[in-house]
This record gives sequence, C-alpha cells and structure tokens, in this order.
Amino acid sequence: MIPVELYIGLAVIIFTIGLYGFMTQRSGIRMLMSVELMLNSANLNLVAFSSYNADLTGQVFALYSIALAACEAAIGFAILMAIFRMKDTINLDSFNVLRW
Amino acid sequence: MDLMLLAPEITLAVTGLAVLLIGLFLPVGSKKILGFIASIGVLAALVLTVTSLGTEAMMFNDTLSIDALSQFFKIVFLVVALLFTIASIKYMEGNKNAEEFFSLGIFATIGMMFVASANDLMVLFVAFELASLATYALAGFEKTNQKSLEASMKYFMIGSLSAALLLFGISFIYGMTGTTNIPAIAENAAGLVTNPIGIVAVILLIAGFGFKIALVPFHMWAPDTYQGSPSVVSSLLAAGSKKMGIVAAFKVFIVALIALQVEWQTVFAILAVVTMTYGNVVAVTQTSVKRMLAYSSLAQAGYISMAFVVLTPLALSGGILYALSHGFMKAGAFIATAAVVYMVLSENKDTEDPDHLDNFRGLGRRMPITALSMTIFVFALAGIPLTAGFTSKFVLFSSTIQAGFVWLAVIAILNSALSLYYYAKIVKYMYFLPTDADKVSEPLPYTIALVIAVIGVLAIGFWPEPFSYWAMEAAKVLIPGGM
Repeated sequence: MIPVELYIGLAVIIFTIGLYGFMTQRSGIRMLMSVELMLNSANLNLVAFSSYNADLTGQVFALYSIALAACEAAIGFAILMAIFRMKDTINLDSFNVLRW
Repeated sequence: MDLMLLAPEITLAVTGLAVLLIGLFLPVGSKKILGFIASIGVLAALVLTVTSLGTEAMMFNDTLSIDALSQFFKIVFLVVALLFTIASIKYMEGNKNAEEFFSLGIFATIGMMFVASANDLMVLFVAFELASLATYALAGFEKTNQKSLEASMKYFMIGSLSAALLLFGISFIYGMTGTTNIPAIAENAAGLVTNPIGIVAVILLIAGFGFKIALVPFHMWAPDTYQGSPSVVSSLLAAGSKKMGIVAAFKVFIVALIALQVEWQTVFAILAVVTMTYGNVVAVTQTSVKRMLAYSSLAQAGYISMAFVVLTPLALSGGILYALSHGFMKAGAFIATAAVVYMVLSENKDTEDPDHLDNFRGLGRRMPITALSMTIFVFALAGIPLTAGFTSKFVLFSSTIQAGFVWLAVIAILNSALSLYYYAKIVKYMYFLPTDADKVSEPLPYTIALVIAVIGVLAIGFWPEPFSYWAMEAAKVLIPGGM
C-alpha cells in the first residue's frame, strides 16, 4: 500500500499550485480553475485519509464537496457572464471602481 | 428524534420554495406580495425558534445539536433575516426578479441556521457553503450596476478561496483524528497536538474563517462588497453572514480544537487588536456611509474576536451577546442607509454615489424617523450607555479585565473612543448641516424594519438581564465546566 504521506504530499503540491495560480492570474476563468484545484486537493486528502483510517466519512465528505464545487462554479460563471456582458472582458484588473 | 425541533428550518425552506414557485405565475405589478409571504415565513420561523428555547437534543446521528448556543444564534439570524425581508419589500418593488431575491435570502438564512446547530464538520461545511452561495448571487443582484457586479465578483473570488482553505484544513483534521464529529475531534485531538500538521490545519482554518468574519489580513473584500452590494443585502452580509463565521469559529476552535488553544489564542489576540485598530482608523476618512459602516463592522468583528483570547464563560457570553446586538445595530444602520439611497435614487436616477455623506445633509428634517433611528444605531455601535452596544461592550470588556488582559481592554476602549468620532460625523451631517431640499415621505417597509431594530437595540440596552442570561446559557455550551 502506498504510504499516506505521499498522498498528502501530492495534495499539498496541488494546493500550492492552485494558491499560486489564484494569486498570480487575473483572468476570472483561470482564477476559478485555481480554486477548483485547491478544492480537489482537499478531496484527494479526504479520500486518502478515509482509506488510510478505514472510515467512510471522508469519501462521503469528498462527494459532498464535489457537488458543492460544481454549484460554486455555476455561480461563479454566472457572475463572470454578467461581467462579460457589461465590460466585454473577464480580466478582473479592469474592474475596480470601488476604492477608497 | 423530534422533527418539531427542525420546524423553523422546514418552515423557512417551504417559504423559500413557495415564494420561488408563486413568483413564476405573478405579473410584475403584484410581486409585492412575495415580500409579505417571505416576511411572514421568517416571522413564523422566529416564533417557532423562540418557543423552543431551552430544549436540548441531538438529531440525525449526532450531526445536528439543538442547544442554547444554536437557538441563540438562530434567533440572531432570523431577526436579521426578518429585517432584511421587510426592508426588501420596498427595495424589490417593481423588480421582475423579486422571487429569486427573496428565496435566495431565505436559503442563505437556512444555511446560517444549520451552521449554528451543526455538530459535525461535514454539516458545517455544507451549510456554510449554502449560505455563501446564496449571498454571492444576492450581492450581484443589480446585474447592470457595475459596482454591484464588482462587489459580487470580489466576494465570490475571496469566498471560494476561503472555502478551499477551510476544506483543506478540515481534511487534515479529519485525517489526524479520524472523525468529523466536533466533540469527537476534541476527544481524539492527541494526534493533532503532537503533529505539526495540527498547526497547519489551525492556520488554514483561521484563514478560512477569517475571510468570512473579515479579520484584518483577510478583510480586503469586505469594504468593497458592503459598499457595492444593494444596501439591504449589505445588512444581511454584515449582520448575518459575519455572525455565521463567528459561530462556526466558536464551534471549531473552542469545542473541537481546544487542545491547540495556546496556538490559536495567540493568533486571535494579534488579529483582534489589528482588526479593531485598522477598522476604526480607516473608517475615519471615509465619505461613503456604507464603506464607513463596513470598516466599523471590521472593528466590531475585532471586538467579538476578543472572546477567543479571553476564553472565560463571561467573555464568551459577551461575544455572543455582542453578536445579537451587532445584528440589530448593523442591520438597522444599513437599512437606514438603504432608505436614504432609495430617497436619493428616486429623486435622481443617475446619482453616482447615492450613499455619499453629503446625501445625509439635513436628514433630520427630511426623513425624521430614519435620521433618529440612524442616530440610535450609530451611538449604539459606538457604545453609548442605554443601548445594546453599551451592554455587550460592558460585558465583554469587563470580563477581559477580570481575566487579566488589561492591555487588550485598554486598546479596545481607546478604539471605541476613536470610533465615536466618525459615528458623530454622520449625526452632525444629519442634524447640524443645513440643506434646502424638502421633506420626503419615508417608505413604510423601511420604517417598520427600522422601528423593529430600534426596539431591539433599546431593549437590550434598558433591560439587559434576560439577554445576558441567554448569552451565558449559550456560552456554557461551549465551555461546559467553566475554565
């Protein structure tokens, strides 16, 4: 059996890639993809721990979180669509009227 | 198991779906009735929750717990939701999407209520997301208004980041303890304490909840979102959604992760001080009233976070009582702003900044009820005696001193004094600066919502005993034996 540390390592790497992408990218879609990466690394963690601990809760949790990630993507794309209709771009840097 | 204990949530869910369905078949002109249905549903849920005060039960395989804490926070959320739905009757007048607005608001409230009674991290996360997803859509409800869209976009991006951090943190806690049940985590915390992953999980969770509560390094979305969203939605966000973060953090840190107390207590001490100072200092220079209220809301979150540092039953009850008072004060202040925005926009549809401080000029003469209630709310936020703000600040600060954290109490009191400056500025604009504009008639729904909030603020101020007793009962759920 593959030791659980390797799974955690992979999850941490994917999470870091997602976090890096979220902070550096300015396109709405790419930021959303980065968030999905982070959520999926957490799912990987949950499933790995679940099989390591011989407890099903983690897998159920992963299923819930996949469904929630889908809902979140739907809301996110709806907001991005509305932005695109107004501005003809989804570059979020062009979108800052709210400042102090 | 008694399904009656879930009656408030079921009532709300039925109301939300009914509003959505009925709205399909109504012409735009008669959609006003949806607001009344929604308000009645929320009121019924509130009555059902109040009547079940004092019951204790575990439901659905120990995933939901009904106790003093959950009932207290459910009342907070329902009161805020009631103010929100009543005020929105006017705001949604003549809008063809009214059914979506009200049902989203109600679903967000259901999410918050389930967070309040969650006894399992899985339920907590799903309910947390339910409330967040509904409020992302609400923040961007004016979809042809660039500010509203920007508010929604920023809120969504930061919110989804916080959800990812939260889930990653929860996955480590699950891995180290082998369970997602909150009390069971506390029992199996040995693995978390000895393993550095425990610290990583605490940091991830603090960041995740910090974004929701808007503690300072994680606050950058909050002023933009509160300013850009429709004002009634800002009231739901500041008074409801933020409290949800607080009750979730109470459950996760104080109940589940009490073994890592030393670690998160230090972090919260720093965050509380930085948050209240930053919020108050930046609020001073704001000219947009909604943005000023947003920064003041940061400061209030800083005060409430003091409860995590002091961690005595009295301090926790102060934090919990503060959550209720803040619900009344902040929701009321945002609704008063909504009334002003409505007045300004109905005079001139293209006003650039309807919530600018200049539009509050002479409000005492133009809209006497709104101006008077706004005065009460801002003085309550500053902590003037005989208001809810004073009662809760008194309990919180005196418990802080009692527990030996004098430096923290001094910083908080200095901050309260500073905050009086910008609150008084609003009052000065409303009562002492002249205007030649005429008196306008105040929309009834806003007035009703304001009056309810004023009654709440004054009731807690004049008659604090029952409220602080309930808050104490709620705090005992978190720290059973006292510490």
